[in-house]
Amino acid sequence: MVVEAKFAKIVGAGNASSQKETLEEYSRDMSFVNPVRPAFIVRPKTAAEIEKIVNLANETNTPLVPVSSGSPHFRGDTVPGTGGVVIVDLSGMKKIIKITRHNRVAMVEPGVTFAELIPAVTREGLRLNMPLLPRQSKSVVGSMLEREPVIMPKYQWDSSDPLACIEVVFGNGETFRTGQAAGPGTIEEQWAAGGVQKTPYGPGPAQWQRLVQGAQGTMGIVTWASLRCELLPELEQPFVVGSANLGKLTDLAHWLVRMKLVNECFMVNNTDLAAIMAEKWPTDYCDLKDSLPRWILFYNVAGYHYSPEERVSTQIKGITDICKQVGVEPVKAAGKVSANEILKTVQKPSGEPYWKLRYKGACQDIFFITIYDKLERQLSIMNELANQYGFQSSDIGIYLQPMVQGTNCHCEFNLFYDPTNPREVARVKTLYTKATEALMKVGAFFSRPYDTTARMIVNQNAASVDALNRVKGVLDPNHIMNPGKLCF
Amino acid sequence: MAISKEAYKEIEDVVGPENISDDPSIKDAYRSQYLTVVLPGNTEEVAAVVKLFNKHKIPFQVQSTGWSFYPPEYDFIFVDMRRMNRIIEINEKNMYAVVEPYVIVAELQAELFKRGLTCNMKGSGANTTALAMSGHGHMGLSTGTGDRNDLATEWVTDEGEIIRLGTVGASGEWFCGDGPGPSLRGVIRIGGVMTKQSTKIYHWGGPTKYALEGNSPRYTLPEIPANMMVRYYSFPTVEKLIEAELKIGESEIAFELMGFCPSMVSSNITTNNEEDFATLERFTKEVQGPGFMVIIIGNFPGDFEYKKMVLEQIIKETKGKSLKAVEDHNAEATLLFQCTRVTGSIRETFRAGGMFSSMMVQGQRYDLHVEWLEQAAVWKRELIKKGLIIADDGQQFGWGEEQGHLGHTEIFCRYNPYDADSFKAVHDWMDKVAKLALTGHYSVPVNSALPIEEIGSQACNYHIWLGKIKQAFDPNLVGARTGFSYVGADTAGAHTLVYPPKPPAKQP
Amino acid sequence: MSIEQYKGDMEMCCRCSACKHIPLQMVRNPAHSYACPSIAKYNYHAYSGSGRLIIGREALSKGINYTDRLLDIVYNCQMCGACDISCKYAMDMEVLEPISEFRMKCVEDGHANPALDKVINGLHKTGSMVPVKGKRGDWAEGLNLKNATKEKVDVLYHVGCLTSYDKDMQKLAKATAKILQKAGVNFGIAGDAETCCGGRAYQMGYREDFLNQAKKNMALIKKAGVKTLVTGCADGYQAFKVLYDKYNLKGDLEVLHITEYIDRLIKQGKLKLTKKVNLNVTYHDPCRLGRLSEPWIHWEGKKIPGYKFVFDPPKTYRRGTNGIYAPPRDILASIPGIKLTEMDRIKEYSWCCGAGGGVNESNPEFAAWTANKRIEEATSTGAEALVSACPWCESNFNKTLKATGSSLKVYDIVELVAKAI
Ligand SMILES: Cc1cc2nc3c(=O)[nH]c(=O)nc-3n(C[C@H](O)[C@H](O)[C@H](O)COP(=O)(O)OP(=O)(O)OC[C@H]3O[C@@H](n4cnc5c(N)ncnc54)[C@H](O)[C@@H]3O)c2cc1C
Ligand code: SF4
Ligand code: SF4
Repeated sequence: MVVEAKFAKIVGAGNASSQKETLEEYSRDMSFVNPVRPAFIVRPKTAAEIEKIVNLANETNTPLVPVSSGSPHFRGDTVPGTGGVVIVDLSGMKKIIKITRHNRVAMVEPGVTFAELIPAVTREGLRLNMPLLPRQSKSVVGSMLEREPVIMPKYQWDSSDPLACIEVVFGNGETFRTGQAAGPGTIEEQWAAGGVQKTPYGPGPAQWQRLVQGAQGTMGIVTWASLRCELLPELEQPFVVGSANLGKLTDLAHWLVRMKLVNECFMVNNTDLAAIMAEKWPTDYCDLKDSLPRWILFYNVAGYHYSPEERVSTQIKGITDICKQVGVEPVKAAGKVSANEILKTVQKPSGEPYWKLRYKGACQDIFFITIYDKLERQLSIMNELANQYGFQSSDIGIYLQPMVQGTNCHCEFNLFYDPTNPREVARVKTLYTKATEALMKVGAFFSRPYDTTARMIVNQNAASVDALNRVKGVLDPNHIMNPGKLCF
Repeated sequence: MAISKEAYKEIEDVVGPENISDDPSIKDAYRSQYLTVVLPGNTEEVAAVVKLFNKHKIPFQVQSTGWSFYPPEYDFIFVDMRRMNRIIEINEKNMYAVVEPYVIVAELQAELFKRGLTCNMKGSGANTTALAMSGHGHMGLSTGTGDRNDLATEWVTDEGEIIRLGTVGASGEWFCGDGPGPSLRGVIRIGGVMTKQSTKIYHWGGPTKYALEGNSPRYTLPEIPANMMVRYYSFPTVEKLIEAELKIGESEIAFELMGFCPSMVSSNITTNNEEDFATLERFTKEVQGPGFMVIIIGNFPGDFEYKKMVLEQIIKETKGKSLKAVEDHNAEATLLFQCTRVTGSIRETFRAGGMFSSMMVQGQRYDLHVEWLEQAAVWKRELIKKGLIIADDGQQFGWGEEQGHLGHTEIFCRYNPYDADSFKAVHDWMDKVAKLALTGHYSVPVNSALPIEEIGSQACNYHIWLGKIKQAFDPNLVGARTGFSYVGADTAGAHTLVYPPKPPAKQP
Repeated sequence: MSIEQYKGDMEMCCRCSACKHIPLQMVRNPAHSYACPSIAKYNYHAYSGSGRLIIGREALSKGINYTDRLLDIVYNCQMCGACDISCKYAMDMEVLEPISEFRMKCVEDGHANPALDKVINGLHKTGSMVPVKGKRGDWAEGLNLKNATKEKVDVLYHVGCLTSYDKDMQKLAKATAKILQKAGVNFGIAGDAETCCGGRAYQMGYREDFLNQAKKNMALIKKAGVKTLVTGCADGYQAFKVLYDKYNLKGDLEVLHITEYIDRLIKQGKLKLTKKVNLNVTYHDPCRLGRLSEPWIHWEGKKIPGYKFVFDPPKTYRRGTNGIYAPPRDILASIPGIKLTEMDRIKEYSWCCGAGGGVNESNPEFAAWTANKRIEEATSTGAEALVSACPWCESNFNKTLKATGSSLKVYDIVELVAKAI
């Protein structure tokens, strides 16, 4: 039997494909990564199938690339880094295994999208700590494995949140469960004893989930993940604060997050907010953008079961005092955008088409982690470089997300561009690389490096590369998993 | 000399003659006849000596503040991190602090209080390392746990390589410990030496320092600072207690919820054993069932009023009863300053008998372990009846972490370790309780109680995986068998079998 | 008294290391969080209170293995008792007592420190802990003080070795005399008949010499028929008040430190401080006037068999709660113009000046290091002067200051009182 047939046998012929168009689809994404056509696509439905796939891959020395979300992909991480790859497409694994209100936890398979999980948790009185407007096809598990920033920093205790436990088939073909899920006994036995799969760390002194998060599928394949959920508020009062002075807004954001006064909390520039909120293009977009202050801080005050009105009004009063000290004024609308509309929008995934594509059809993100003190310089460097490489700097969308309860901040530049215009593509491509390099020099930390810049970023820290390779050597000794990515 | 003269000399050349010793009296004080002590002064020295340990294949163990150090019974080098005791940075706006291993939490917290901030602390308390080591403590509800507070870290591997995680490796900044790529935070607790670490810090609504009056051991506050309150509630049933605990977590009103049983409250507020036992007797008569202590801190007056109001409502709904003795000014004050600075842990654990042994589950909520630990408590009371351990109320206790998302449960016996009967009884008890954790599928028990194969085979063979990772970083197998565990106090037990049991070298 | 007696206490040590720091509740500044000079300087756990107990515990089971390092550990300890207080914030156990007994055992076993031996030899010859030039009572020449061995007085002022013989310290005796005269106290000194209290010999590990001195002193006091003894030296104060009592030698003698006595005189209206002394000061609590001055508690009992560390009859511990903390502060508050700013480590958790336990003799460098830490702490308060109430503190601070060239001034509290009257 040829290798492909063996893979097909595991998942059943209907779940395998080597059709040219399908392979073509998986060979590229919207990033600048060079297309490489995979050899074969499998769509497993169970963990057992996945384990078999990984074992077969080890026997046959076949590289595997796991994919959970549907297209469009943006980061090049699912584009094969080498020839002969079998794509393990998990997007069909859509079971929502369990949601427990009492424990504020959900357990899902990798194919479950935000659009699918949100209504399910809502029914239980729970909600997700979401990234900002993920695309419709984005896998919840995928997002967590990528350590995507989430919009409620107050509930992000650790950068690994909201991920709780995972079941993972490591590259060597063995299945492992992390954190509380590890044992004792099977998941079913744990449930029978009243247990949940929520504690992320252990067993033992290792924190296994951290080795899989951020790995872009290079360590193993996750068959399910559990995630912490938050309670649905009974009352919400969103606000916006506009200013030309970003320093004032980061000051305010610091206090709001520090004192855990607000749920959703992030900052965007006028370009991004207009791109997010515009309905009619391009008229709405221009109007909105013109109506907006340069920077907008959005936050949401929430009340839960006990006296929600009183809680909300108390917090608002506290926030008002802070605002006075900072010298800003919270309002219910910025320009033509109301805080309520923003809230409604960001509590769901993006509508179609994906918001980043609406403006020009494509978008290249540059994102990194930073701290407020460094932002000003980083922003000005980005502006300078944009000007230098012929990209209108006012066209850059900027998203700032306080993270991990205020210990750092995700900074994201959205370079909207027209993919059909080769000159624009070339400009963005150059700007992307140059800006990444320049920003690194001023303290921008690319914790999740993707595509063409990944190697350059990872290789900056040789000791860390060495350590990662030692881990890799244990979990995926034959380098089956997504070769060519990061430093592997 | 336990290690060769040549090795000794080479290490001495790195740290200086005053920072290495194998004198018998130094050994005595570290409670092991097998060790040679090295006191490195900076990261480079740590890396250099660890390289020498590898060169000479000498096993080593590291200690920060030594709260859970159990010396192994083979010749080894003991790396005492005492000299590395600097607070490197406190970044207020970005909510982190960077410390070396021998900064104790009392020191860091004192500096943080001045800035309206505080930090996570292990239950062992104020003179434990401020590194975000694994470990859980009183303020877990609002400050999480050690395992989840670390940001960037400087780590010397068991081979002596310096690895700088996250931002500190990229730009020398300390604000993020993950990446680029997978987070090595996943492995830094398995071994090696943490030499510097950035840890998250939190808002503190209390005073910049407590205006304490009086003299040791009975300090007090002239008045309870604004927007602060401590109460102890007991409940008719454990179900009601759990309901209250969850509601408090979910409503985000408490700064601290510590599942003290009455004996822990009485130990905390009393200054000697006799007073402690008498107070406990009073408490036991007054409480209606299991209970917990809550500390409310308002960020501003309105916030405090709201939180207080919700607390009252929850307590009413769950039929909680406030322990009057804690409403007394001195008791409330003592609990407040002692449980927010965690300075009473020794009163709670060691004072009565000299030792305590604990069965605990870190990270998992109390409600999941009630059945298991109630059984443990039944067995514990049998020991009390036989006069083998301190007669406290025999209860398990727990607390919520991260606003009740996670939690901690524990039960311990206090006893005299020099009394052979007590010692054996407690260890048999630990064993029995650990076994029940496994057979009942409740949790992975503290690993020193049972052989690691018995536990690991029930938990995805994690011990085998861990062994492989350890070997990847420690090919010469000179590092510690333990690493710092996610169960803070169980470092006596190895989490892997890759380290051969090493017989002590013959003393020449 | 013997080390064996403290076996249970030494076994109680849980290695929590609270004894390295001031009571943790009081840690307000990382720079001033340590209580024990010895661990702060020498770093090995052996140098902490806990390390000393564990070494003692081991010695009980397997005998003492004398090495140079062991003696280095034993004698690099100021016997300041800070470890004892910090431990007893939480624990019911003795710390300083077994440490002290261990040192005595070393001395008895013939492992005395040579520098200390020299001092004790001097004591044998001269009855003084400091080199003797001239006669003990010379400082009082021309002051017309009563000789308590010859005349009936209400109060015997025990001057102490350092104050009597050290040219730089005699000013304290003169100031004290001036104050007592001004208050109209019927007091006297023993003049040349005065002999060392024995307190410092005790700290150094020489129990027998201490007892000899104590007996001599009590005989003199008995003969003079005085009921009240005032001392200006914290070491002397602790010796008369606590140690004599511990060995059942004190009888019903009332022992007062000069600060207690002045405070009493002020409060009784017998002493008026009227002159302005414009000075920003900070106050250093001498170990033996502060935490170690609590009355001795006579207790004899047995551990109740079983698991608890409790006794029949119950044992009351000396935890430093009742040291002399208020009187010196009250006096300072009564001096017009004085502004007191407290240091981070005060009262029962004060940092030793460095001279205790004979360290100023056995390891002057360590004594100076310790003093220096205190001087830094005092300077950080913004004070112009460091005020103490013990000549040993003042002398050690002054020596150290000279070497550093700091502009901080050092006073004994009696000097300031003398200025104010
Ligand atoms: C009375 C008492 C109460 C306690 N209560 C709690 C509690 O409530 N919650 C809790 O979590 N724990 C508790 N503990 C356990 C203890 O506090 C924790 O284990 C704590 O993390 C110990 O820190 P340490 O630095 O003192 O440990 P150490 O004893 O110094 O070290 C512990 C382990 O970590 C390793 N290690 C130490 N420093 C380093 C370093 N720099 N780099 C690499 N490895 C290192 C050591 O080799 C050792 O294996 C308690 C302990 C006691 C004695
Ligand atoms: S002497 Fe006391 S304070 Fe020091 S370690 Fe031992 S028990 Fe703790
Ligand atoms: S007596 Fe003083 S110097 Fe000696 S161990 Fe105790 S605290 Fe340290």
